[in-house]
Amino acid sequence: MSKLDNGPDLGDPTIGNSDEVPVDLRDYGPEDWAAFALFWALAFVVFLQFFTRYVLNDSLAWTEEIARYLLMTVTFAGGGMAVRKVTHIHVEFLYVYMPQGVARAASTAVDLIRIGFFAYAAYLSWSVTEIMTNQRMVVIDIPMAWVYAPCMIGLAVMTLRSVQVALRHWREGASPLTRVSVEGRHQ
Amino acid sequence: MIAALLLSFVFLLCVGVPVAIALGGASLLYVVLEGTTPHLVVIYRMMAGVDSFPLLAIPFFIMAGSLMNSSGITERIYDFALALVGWLKGGLGHVNVVGSVIFAGMSGTAVADAGGLGNIEIRAMRDHGYDVDFAVGITGASSTVGPIIPPSLPLVIYGVMANASIGQLFAAGLLPGLFMAATMMGMVAWYAHVRGFNADAVFSWAVLGHTFKRAILPLMTPVLLIGGMTTGVFTPTEAAIAATAYALFLGMAVYRTLTWRGLIRVSMETIETTAIVLLIVAGASIFGYIITTTRVTDEFAAMVLSITSEPWAVLLLVNIFLLVIGCFMETIAAITILVPVLLPLMEKIGVDPVHFGIIMVLNLMIGLLTPPVGMVLYILARVANISFERTTKACAPFLIPLVISLLVVTYWPEMVLFLPNYFYR
Repeated sequence: MSKLDNGPDLGDPTIGNSDEVPVDLRDYGPEDWAAFALFWALAFVVFLQFFTRYVLNDSLAWTEEIARYLLMTVTFAGGGMAVRKVTHIHVEFLYVYMPQGVARAASTAVDLIRIGFFAYAAYLSWSVTEIMTNQRMVVIDIPMAWVYAPCMIGLAVMTLRSVQVALRHWREGASPLTRVSVEGRHQ
Repeated sequence: MIAALLLSFVFLLCVGVPVAIALGGASLLYVVLEGTTPHLVVIYRMMAGVDSFPLLAIPFFIMAGSLMNSSGITERIYDFALALVGWLKGGLGHVNVVGSVIFAGMSGTAVADAGGLGNIEIRAMRDHGYDVDFAVGITGASSTVGPIIPPSLPLVIYGVMANASIGQLFAAGLLPGLFMAATMMGMVAWYAHVRGFNADAVFSWAVLGHTFKRAILPLMTPVLLIGGMTTGVFTPTEAAIAATAYALFLGMAVYRTLTWRGLIRVSMETIETTAIVLLIVAGASIFGYIITTTRVTDEFAAMVLSITSEPWAVLLLVNIFLLVIGCFMETIAAITILVPVLLPLMEKIGVDPVHFGIIMVLNLMIGLLTPPVGMVLYILARVANISFERTTKACAPFLIPLVISLLVVTYWPEMVLFLPNYFYR
């Protein structure tokens, strides 16, 4: 098992046959659907910009700024999916050389660091959002907090998902990292 | 203080903390120890690091490649490549390279190429009696042209980190990508000569015309994208959304191979990959900010220049360094971390940032084929159903044309900069 087994499916050989692989929509959590909505809003805005510039010859001024902000929210909203599936890119090759006990300890430390970082980042982003209530966007008169608040929620979700993942690893006594150690090599 | 930053980063990275958190966490620790900067600056800079117009190209290049793979478009390209060069000796080897070049013009990552087109290619080469090692080797090697020929995810990230024009970087990648393809086809020809491979197809204008007609709609993608971006008509972001819209149109309206559920799946994968990549960019923007403002990068440059100040020798050292890093590190992570460190050095010896972008990405592409961390190797091992070790050995001979290409790209800047100079400067 490597991180690719449940990883972003760009490298999945089955990707060419989306009809053959049943897509189970229950695999996706609520935060994924939120990210989904933001992503398609982003696609729409970017397309609108393209369309107005090339077809109508008069690009809408607000599209570029809004698109950038939507990308920020997609990033932080989508992060939860990667935390839940443990697909954030990490370096795992040292685990090949670790005895199992050490690997277990290191993997638990990683879980705790992940929770700690996201929790503190979520807490700090609350203050950032508060400051941003007084800041206005450049083209449209909306407070910047509207951008930073979704990012804060994204960080909070990532914190919760990290706790969930850590508990799962604890219960199962194994994680993708310790599996690298057990199998002694990648894959 | 800065030592604490670097040491804690390396420690976090090696212990297996996600790269984004290692970057953000080490930066946070630095700010805590330093004591004068409010902690929330770290998270603010991380969020603001994603607020960049060029980065908007990333989700849509990912999505376009993914859609092309899931709409049966890859097969049409393969058939066309087969009719085009399958009649050469060692035919399917050449088909493999040509197919990758065409696909590279629509997708921005090597893994999309290895996983999509590679799957078809390896199966076909097995059926025609090629040994698996040759099939895997040439598939792996040819997939690395993906991010050199535009569009390219790593080049977008490089452009954002180095503050270089992404249009120019894309223009710069085209000739080196074609050169790489030529060296690999040379290697295939040599194999065919030594091992006595035969042709795999008979050349026929009728078949070529037929497969061309079947592939014409997807083939428009690279023509429009590369043509539009290298000449500066489209910005990369515009090209990315146009390619996505076009791929959606092909998959849902023309070929009707893409279902709604398939679309949801592709969207979710795109979101996941985008988040993974951009959270690393977010972490790197605060990390890079700290190491740049504390001037460690200048000290690093001075240190290297004290060893040698000959540009060719510095470039050699940097190439070796990048090849070693590429063995251990994922491409995007390596770019975001190393651009702030290496770019000042390059500027001191007079290397153009656009030229260096191609050098860096090519080095890291070679890293995709080297153990212990080689993304393309993992994918090919799974696609071909052979062990990781055997995949590594199969790909090893094909590092030769890649390293030759690397040397040419490094020491012949005129070739790399020809198109950017022509269209942009």
